Amino acid sequence: MSDFSEELARPGSEDGQVETSVVSGTGMHFPWLWKHLDTVATRGKKKKDFAQTTGACLSLIQEALLKQRWQQAAEYMHSYLQTLEDSDSNKKQMAPEIIWKLGSEILFYHPKSSVKTFSAFADQMKNVGVLNYLKHALYLIHHGMLEDAHRNLSQAETWRYGEKSSSQETLINLVQAYKGLLEYYSWSKKKMELSQCDKDDYAYSTEARNTFRHSWKTSVNFSSLIKTPGVWDPFVKSYVEMLEFHGDRDGARKVLTNYAYDKKFPSNPNAHIYLYSFLKRVRAPRAELLRALQILYQIVPSHKLMLEFHTLLRRSDREEHRKLGLGVLFGLLDFAGCTKNITAWKYLASYLRQILMQNHLGWVQEEWKSRRNWWPTFHFSYFWAKSDWKEDKDLAYEKAFVAGMLLGKGCRYFRYILKQDHQDLWKKIKRMKKSVKKYSIVKPAA
Amino acid sequence: MDFPSSLPPSLFMTGPLGSSDVPDLSFMCSWRDALTLPESPPQNCKIAAPNSATALLWEPSMPGPLPLLPPCPDPWDPGVTAQDLLFRGGFHYRRQPQVVLDVTEQLSRFLWDHGDIAFAPLGKMMLENFKLEGGRNRSKKMTVVSAKKLLQDLGGHQPWGCPWAYLSHRLRRFSIVGGPVLGKSVSHLLGRLLHEELATRWEQLLLDEAFTGGALAWLPGRTSQVGQLVYPAGGALDRLCFQEVSLPSGGDPQVLGDPGCIQLQGPVRQVVTSTVQGETLLAVRSDYHCAVWKVGKQRRPATLQVLRVEKGATGISLSPHLPGELAVCSRSGAVCLWTPQNGLQQVYKDPETLVFRDPSSWRWADFTAHPRVLTVGDRTGVKMVDTQGPPGCGLLLFRAGAEASCQKGERVLLTQYLRQSDPESLPPTLHLVCTQFSLYLVDERLPLVPMLKWNHGLPSPALLAHLLPPAHPGSPQPLFLGGLGGQVQLLHITGKEPSAPRLAGPPQSLPSSADSLSAFPLLEPKSQKQLQERLEAPTIGLASAFPPCASTPAVWLFQLSAAGDIFYQRLTLQAASSFHRDEEPPSDPGPDSPAPSVPPMDPRPTPSWTSQATACCSRWLEALLQVPPAAPVWAAPTFSHRRLLGRLEPREVEGKVLQGLRAAMAGGQLLQQRDLGLLPSAEPPPAPEPGPQDELSERLEEAWAGQGTAWCKRQQGKISISEPGKQAKRPKRRSQLSSTFSSLTSCLDLPETSSSPHSLERTTSEARLQPPVTPYSQESARQTPQDNMVELPLPKDTPTSRHVATPPSQASSVQAMPSQRSTPGSWPQRKRPRMGF
Repeated sequence: MSDFSEELARPGSEDGQVETSVVSGTGMHFPWLWKHLDTVATRGKKKKDFAQTTGACLSLIQEALLKQRWQQAAEYMHSYLQTLEDSDSNKKQMAPEIIWKLGSEILFYHPKSSVKTFSAFADQMKNVGVLNYLKHALYLIHHGMLEDAHRNLSQAETWRYGEKSSSQETLINLVQAYKGLLEYYSWSKKKMELSQCDKDDYAYSTEARNTFRHSWKTSVNFSSLIKTPGVWDPFVKSYVEMLEFHGDRDGARKVLTNYAYDKKFPSNPNAHIYLYSFLKRVRAPRAELLRALQILYQIVPSHKLMLEFHTLLRRSDREEHRKLGLGVLFGLLDFAGCTKNITAWKYLASYLRQILMQNHLGWVQEEWKSRRNWWPTFHFSYFWAKSDWKEDKDLAYEKAFVAGMLLGKGCRYFRYILKQDHQDLWKKIKRMKKSVKKYSIVKPAA
Repeated sequence: MDFPSSLPPSLFMTGPLGSSDVPDLSFMCSWRDALTLPESPPQNCKIAAPNSATALLWEPSMPGPLPLLPPCPDPWDPGVTAQDLLFRGGFHYRRQPQVVLDVTEQLSRFLWDHGDIAFAPLGKMMLENFKLEGGRNRSKKMTVVSAKKLLQDLGGHQPWGCPWAYLSHRLRRFSIVGGPVLGKSVSHLLGRLLHEELATRWEQLLLDEAFTGGALAWLPGRTSQVGQLVYPAGGALDRLCFQEVSLPSGGDPQVLGDPGCIQLQGPVRQVVTSTVQGETLLAVRSDYHCAVWKVGKQRRPATLQVLRVEKGATGISLSPHLPGELAVCSRSGAVCLWTPQNGLQQVYKDPETLVFRDPSSWRWADFTAHPRVLTVGDRTGVKMVDTQGPPGCGLLLFRAGAEASCQKGERVLLTQYLRQSDPESLPPTLHLVCTQFSLYLVDERLPLVPMLKWNHGLPSPALLAHLLPPAHPGSPQPLFLGGLGGQVQLLHITGKEPSAPRLAGPPQSLPSSADSLSAFPLLEPKSQKQLQERLEAPTIGLASAFPPCASTPAVWLFQLSAAGDIFYQRLTLQAASSFHRDEEPPSDPGPDSPAPSVPPMDPRPTPSWTSQATACCSRWLEALLQVPPAAPVWAAPTFSHRRLLGRLEPREVEGKVLQGLRAAMAGGQLLQQRDLGLLPSAEPPPAPEPGPQDELSERLEEAWAGQGTAWCKRQQGKISISEPGKQAKRPKRRSQLSSTFSSLTSCLDLPETSSSPHSLERTTSEARLQPPVTPYSQESARQTPQDNMVELPLPKDTPTSRHVATPPSQASSVQAMPSQRSTPGSWPQRKRPRMGF
């Protein structure tokens, strides 16, 4: 076990840090450096007995945790509490955090622990920080105690320590967002109940509307956090759902657009997926849908929405869109996880045929140029011909069609499938042979 | 492919690593991921995550790994330690450690040990200024000095702490006289070189990156129960071995036949295998070479190509998509795509590191879900590079910085593409990034934001990782993370397509080979130390076999140590029912309450050694003890000028003493006075005379001479006859001590060989242990293109090995030795720890 306390000490105390890297000059930190130094330290001041026993106890706890011996860990933990008496002020300061981290871990898994135990422990450790409240709340949510969790988060909202820093503000925002999420839960539960109820009952619906309005007010909790760069998928999703329900489409669109296009945010595919599904829900014009998907195509060309993108492009009137439609299919099939996607192969086979019939040989050749040297082994090897035929005959047929189109009828994959005698596919294979002969981009040497 | 519909919330901040203002939302707890917020109200999905989490436990069947093969017949030496390199004096326990290289001591040792190298050139240069023979200086030249006279003049000057004081007490003053001339040039040049070397060694001790990725691989066979282990063997790790192993579902793995071997000309650092479209390839990385073999249907490897990497290769990986495609990276910063048919294609080259400037020349490359996109990694980050795009451009996949809330001083140690063949497993877009502190899972579709972060806390560099397919369809996938120090952690990772990858339960640690020490019989201190060193040798390879078994899923984990030993352990997935969370109200109100007085009752019984296991260990130990100690590469310097100075011839008796001492040291035996024949009556031994009935000293003496077992047996016989009343008369403390010892004797199960003559046993054991080279491997060895290989120095030749003892042959050439009696102070006061006393 690494010296946990040393690890935690690092961000705070950087005074002597340079000394470790004098030798290597890399600035790299080695958690196992102490182990080497301990073997060398024969003279000089020894570690105090107190520090030695607490250190040993800590490593025993960590070992017990990793061996999943919760009972043992809890008993060591009991002894470890002596670290709170450490005369080293730095260690003393760090102790509650370590105790909280290890203690919550033990209590989460310990067979005899309960929500009550955990809460009692968490309440005593409240001074550790805001994240403590959040973790406690998550634990409570996990055990289905939403109201307690909500109370906990409300307490955390007012948490202040020292100067108000930006990170503290972010954390408070985060706490608020989680609170908002809890409110969203009760809201959506009510919504579900309402949808099941008799809508004519006036009194009920008024009450429900009131609750809605209330939770709607508090759901503003989300808005401050989702302006901070980060991945806030659950928050954005629920926020948008609530906004939409209250008819604030513009607000929802603004939130989603900001989440998807703000440069400070990571390029989260979900942001674009949410935006696209929102646009689809509000029946946005096709150009807008295409724009949303085009960005997704640039980030994740392997996403299953690319098939939808392809169909949209295929139906487009503009030639460049139809050309891109081919590229999207090729791009999707480049990925290892998509090689057995029969829909993609079906689309490619039919689209290739359609394009070649329309005399757009150039488009195909352009896409094929960069794939010519590896697609044959990646997709159309003899091995795949055999295994595809064995596993999925339809897939083998579609792939053989594409192979024939791209590599000519001499291709091994194509020949292997052609050779197979299959009653159901017989007609299809014959048709395929004809098409390949007519449209293949590889003309047999005359 | 589908993308996780909702990712766990995380802050995204750009900036350098160690910005303390960034709150790390990963909370450093294993259950955080179990709490990923459900999207629908949690009432209906109040999942029993703790239950399912606790149920995930791969229980080792033994308390520690067991040796699979007989020990490597070549001696192994643990190499330099921190004690050899660092300054030992004045180290204080401060909050931040201070590392000072002990150049002074190393330099002085070097001058003593390798005086010939250090001073011979100078001596040669000054040869014409010295006259070694003859009485008076008859030369007219003023620049020629008589060495004899000089030495005589210097006589009586007492140097401090020099082990060859009897040689150099005269030279000492000469060195003072000649110091200004001699000292500077030698110490300056040597000091600089030595400091450089020590710094390199220290860095290597802190992080030995050569074995990144691991040098052990498992090749699955035709049936799921049989496979091949591919590993380097031999003291220099330069023999690539293919050992067929069968894994019966119940018992221990069985080694089938002798391993096939391919002799290489350099140490093997990394072994990777990959089966793509039914074709199995095996790639090996050495320091300056990479080679790829094709493993045929009969499991016979055929060389495809050998590549020489001028600047040194740091990583090799095989493509999981296209058969026969490899990625190779070199210290120059270049990454190449290598196909044996088409040769090399340089994909990326940048001598600078990716994110910020780091002096390390370590580079790594692996594949991604797109067969034409590679990842390029160094200590500061990982980048995705399109091999078909314009050179140099790409997208950063991982950045050691605030994005992943990295700590200060955090660096990438290993990156690995988690290839997936099963559609029922994790998405094929995940990459593993390991640093000294944490493990990250990064999805290439969402760069820079880690999907999962776990603070592994391994006490050694995590250079080995291995992801296994799920035990059952849909169950979490075990990920082994191995540290160089032998620690292995097992993480359970789950997350099929629509959900983000997360930990499915608390990670567990697996026993390391050092934990197996208890399975071995107790030994004499010297052998015990040898065994312990051997078991604690760094782990340089990790492989696992996962024979699909219907009843209880089991994993075989193999570990290769730097000493060339392979250890195995079997892990079985525990049945979920055996430890369900108790539903009863808790009686224990938490850690703040006083600990219960009842001893801890863990629900699981601890595994214990079976008699088979201990027998296996004893057999292995027997073979290990017959391995000769590492041959010394160093010889004591000889000063033959004394032969020229006729007057200083030593007396014969002293020569005999010296010879006896040298012989005893070479044999590692105790030198007793009776061995030397005559006793100097004038000098009684300083130690208090042991009484005739002092059993302890007698026993220690016997044990030291290697006769411990015989003594025990003799003594046991004696004790059974003697009356108990007599024993009670002895001093209390001593009897207590001996009773502890005698209680030990009952469990002492020393192999017979420790007392038997060494030479005969050794030769036979060597013949037995040397794996006979199978015919096919000889062929393949011949097939190795010799012209592509250049001769690489074996590690034996490099000064890695420690100086152990003086060989008797060298000792005999030293003829002079002052009497111990006449100059008692001249005997080295300081014990040299390396000498083996």
